[in-house]
Amino acid sequence: MPSVKDLRDRIRSMKNTQQITKAMKQVAAAKIRRAEAAQKQARPYADALSRMLNDLMAAVSSVDHPFMKPGRQGAPVGVILMTADKGLCGAFNGNLIRAAEQFQKTHPNAVFYSVGIKARNAIRRMGQPDHATWPLNVPTKLATAQDVASLVTQAFVDGKISEIVLISAKLVSMISQRPETRRLVPFSQSAASEAEHAKGGGAKGAVEFAPSPEFVLSRLLPKYLEFTLFSSMLETDASFFAAQLVAMNNATENAGKLIDEYTIQMNNARQAAITKELLEIVGGAEALSGS
Amino acid sequence: MASTIPFTLITPQSVAFSGQAELVIVTTTEGEEGILAKHAPFLAALKPGVLRANVIVEEKPQRLELATRGGFIQALPDGITVLADEALRFEDVDVAASRIELAESSDPLVAEFAAAKLRLTGH
Repeated sequence: MPSVKDLRDRIRSMKNTQQITKAMKQVAAAKIRRAEAAQKQARPYADALSRMLNDLMAAVSSVDHPFMKPGRQGAPVGVILMTADKGLCGAFNGNLIRAAEQFQKTHPNAVFYSVGIKARNAIRRMGQPDHATWPLNVPTKLATAQDVASLVTQAFVDGKISEIVLISAKLVSMISQRPETRRLVPFSQSAASEAEHAKGGGAKGAVEFAPSPEFVLSRLLPKYLEFTLFSSMLETDASFFAAQLVAMNNATENAGKLIDEYTIQMNNARQAAITKELLEIVGGAEALSGS
Repeated sequence: MASTIPFTLITPQSVAFSGQAELVIVTTTEGEEGILAKHAPFLAALKPGVLRANVIVEEKPQRLELATRGGFIQALPDGITVLADEALRFEDVDVAASRIELAESSDPLVAEFAAAKLRLTGH
């Protein structure tokens, strides 16, 4: 049985831990609000972009753009794995990395790109130490997204990869985030028009294009890829803070439970010591009076 | 007063302008294009340039001028939408930095955007 002093020390250290986790929880709560605001600000752009793309798709019958055609036969699949930069967020990063590992099992020669430091470390462990990597949590996420997009686009056009797949976090709700694996290129028409069908579609028929629908499309498709990456980065970021909020909340609660438990143990031990001492005094007194 | 049409200017970071406009002038890849209300459905890619629009703010006509980088314009019967990678107002332009960009950048798009920024600020 640990002594009263041991228990007191343990409670003190647990209280310190609890303070830290509580602070981290509050920080996560503040950051998620900001991340969500950034996501919300990006939404009008996303809506407008998919509407334009949809109108274009309706206007052109056959499109001669590399993104619309299957990639080079036999080339490996390119996979972009997005995770957070930091841990302390429960199974959040682990789940994303597991999704990537599963993907690697079915596509053994897949070429990986990573966004996020945890993703970088995981991909290095998975046997690609020299892959292209970017951090997730930077102020200029749009610039990063543009970098990633231009690199993978180049690889795709050069025939180094046959597909572009993205593994990123989807923020289902504040308490639920799950990995999502999506194929971005070759571009499938349904991906852009999903949202638009719900709204009843844009203008059909006589649309003027300057100079031609093909040209506008050749500008729009890369922009769409870029922006998909950008908004996925925002969502992964927001999901990370949500996961961290939950993890830190649990940690704070667990610390509280341990403190309660240790406090009871400490009180028991103290009471036991007092009882023992009393017994000794009483026993001693009786022994003296009995003689 | 000329008839107006809803006009929104959107960047990935924010909605830079949303309101009624009489006329929107943008620089497409084919040259400058002015769009009034009731324009035929129209979709074009933009070059870096100065976007000018006659807009109605609080029921008063105003001139809106912004330097925009990249993007697209779509005119539909129910409104004009401009998507830009960046849209800077007069007061947001860093003139000294733009001068350096214009002089030193090897990327024509960066240089064009710098030129547009300087044009906007009257340099």
